[in-house]
Amino acid sequence: MQIDLALIELGVIMLTLAILGRVAVYFELPTTPFFLAAGLFFGQGGLIPVEESAPFIEVGATLGVIFLLFMLGLEYTPRELRQSLRTNARGGVVDIALNAAPGALAALILGWGAQAAVVLGGITYISSSGIIAKLLTDLRRLGNRETSTILSLLVIEDLVMAIFLPVLAVMLAGGSTVGALFSGAAALGLVMTVIVLSPFAERHANRVLNTESPDVLLITLLGLAMLISGLAEMVHVSYAIGAFLLGIVLSGQIAERARTLLNPLRDSFAALFFVNFGLGVDSSALINMIVPAFLLAIVGALTKLGTGWSAAKMAGASRNGARRAAVAMVPRGEFSIVLAGIGVAAGVTGDLKSLVVSYVLILAIGGSLLVRFVK
Amino acid sequence: MEIFETSLPGVGVRYEFDTDRGRKVGVLVHRDGQRELLIYSEHDCDSCDDIVHLNIQESASLVELLGGTKITERLSDIKHEVQGLSIEWVTVEAGSPLAHRTIGDGKIRTASGASVVAILRGDQSHPGPGPDFSLLPGDIVLITGSAEGVDKARHIITG
Repeated sequence: MQIDLALIELGVIMLTLAILGRVAVYFELPTTPFFLAAGLFFGQGGLIPVEESAPFIEVGATLGVIFLLFMLGLEYTPRELRQSLRTNARGGVVDIALNAAPGALAALILGWGAQAAVVLGGITYISSSGIIAKLLTDLRRLGNRETSTILSLLVIEDLVMAIFLPVLAVMLAGGSTVGALFSGAAALGLVMTVIVLSPFAERHANRVLNTESPDVLLITLLGLAMLISGLAEMVHVSYAIGAFLLGIVLSGQIAERARTLLNPLRDSFAALFFVNFGLGVDSSALINMIVPAFLLAIVGALTKLGTGWSAAKMAGASRNGARRAAVAMVPRGEFSIVLAGIGVAAGVTGDLKSLVVSYVLILAIGGSLLVRFVK
Repeated sequence: MEIFETSLPGVGVRYEFDTDRGRKVGVLVHRDGQRELLIYSEHDCDSCDDIVHLNIQESASLVELLGGTKITERLSDIKHEVQGLSIEWVTVEAGSPLAHRTIGDGKIRTASGASVVAILRGDQSHPGPGPDFSLLPGDIVLITGSAEGVDKARHIITG
């Protein structure tokens, strides 16, 4: 790596993101799809080649996934997880059934095989908690009655991911069905243990890890996140899930401080992750996938509308409330990309990258607009 | 009055209640202690017409202005539990016989049987003041006791 060229490339990429970010903010849209699109401009087949900084961007992208999932785990307290499961379990089941099906079917129709079907099912299932939570805050809808239902569904989706990711990891590693089931059961057990034991874990973790100095705490958290992610990857449970579980274990005061400390790191490295994903997409393949992506996006939007509507209705929301809950579930974003990344890294057949980039671009932007205009 | 509590995962907790006149009001307590005052719409009871963001100090001031404090909240709970217990807030006016004098000077307890439980001065509260506590004009005195005792004590303070 030639350091001068690498730095210049990174500088140009970052400034491009900064300009696109401003455009997103101006139109009150999420930045994720814009960063993804930026990745399409750079790299092979794009306008500006990225050569010297590619290794750094790749490591940065991995860190981006770790921070995204670590923060996701920190976001919810085990109490909130338990409560969401109790109050919205039925909505959660409907969510899985309705929204994993389109992706799985699409992969089979495209002839990509069973592995791709599982990955794509996850991709169409998971809504973007990041985009949705920000939209609800910006549109001042946190006080609305349907909001607790929406947030609960998002929490359940994230819990499902905690079990789905290890299963996927084993399956993609070429393991047997038994092996996949076993690792799924192990992950389920681990998550449940974490949820049940967390009150004790919280006390001890706070005592052992907490320190007055913010920089020492930050280094501690970074070290833990990377070590545990690495160990998880080593036993084929995907580094993403390691970071997520660490986030769930940490709660209370230390989680509060960790959120503040890690926020800027997550934002910077997640941006690199989105760019890196876009870099790997060949623009000619992208054009071939536009029609399937568009159809999948329409079906994916409709099934999420049904999910949000029925969950809000079950929770006793009015027509207006149910309508708002329906559209709020539509945006997809960071975690669909994370899943696609895991699938691609494991060598799933089919042009997953091009399909998912267009799918997320359409639903992140279209979904956000829909949420904004349906009052 | 029933206050509904809803957990908002990743955000905080929302409390809401219906007023006598059919409006719905709520408070959203963010995890970091920031608060939002929620005024629900009259036409669509699931959504808010207005949201006012308050930092910790601003919400404390609003509470003061609305005339309730944690003490009153607790006391009204006790009031429900102990039959015949009376609780009253009395403001010390400038012309009050006890202005600039101590609680002991008024012989409130001996004369009325009621007790001074707390004094609110500006945004400070003084729970359990002793007999040598000097009252100033503008102080708000919290008295409890039997209805009759509280009434007598009020007369001692207002003159």
